[in-house]
Amino acid sequence: MPFREKTAWGMSLVLILAGAWYFQKVITQSAALGYTSPPDLRFFIGYVITVVVASITVAVTLSMLSGREADAPADEREKVILDKAGHWSGYILAVGVVAGLWHFGWTGDGNLLFHIAFGALMLSQIAEYLLQIALYRRGV
Amino acid sequence: MTKPTRIGNRIRELRELNGNMSQAALAEAIGVTRQTVIAMEQGRYSPSLESAFRIARVFGTGVEDVFSWQEHPDS
Repeated sequence: MPFREKTAWGMSLVLILAGAWYFQKVITQSAALGYTSPPDLRFFIGYVITVVVASITVAVTLSMLSGREADAPADEREKVILDKAGHWSGYILAVGVVAGLWHFGWTGDGNLLFHIAFGALMLSQIAEYLLQIALYRRGV
Repeated sequence: MTKPTRIGNRIRELRELNGNMSQAALAEAIGVTRQTVIAMEQGRYSPSLESAFRIARVFGTGVEDVFSWQEHPDS
């Protein structure tokens, strides 16, 4: 399995778990409050630090296991895969943000706008890695 | 499920004819990863024109001796 495909598996797993953690907290807090929970900056910073540390751990571990391959730049096929995955995941981010703005326009719920926009960002990142995996396996 | 390309190739056959050249050696000679050579041989990736010429030069042959257009990629 190519190094970048392994990285995509690792990163998608990290982001799926992190996303589940984040939204589990938002849903639990919102249920307790009776309205959409406001962004909790302390939790948000802790969340970002956790994701960054987990990402670095995954990248370093896979680099050590992959040896010389990890240092090689992306070749022509990998560049196409990375470009296509980035292109399509960008649409997911755009649709998510527009959906959040649309919802805000109707409800005026800024908290929900924050969570939808952040969710769209997470979803687009997860989709980017999953698309990379699919393109590595299916072909470009 | 893989996405077949319209461009067929004889890379595996030419490697074997050239002293059983390994996929890694060919990959290094043309500047791609071994996985990309595997993807080419399996018909999952059509190389750039530059890489196609590089491959042909490695085997000392013309591009059309390595690659061909396939009307029906699955055949």
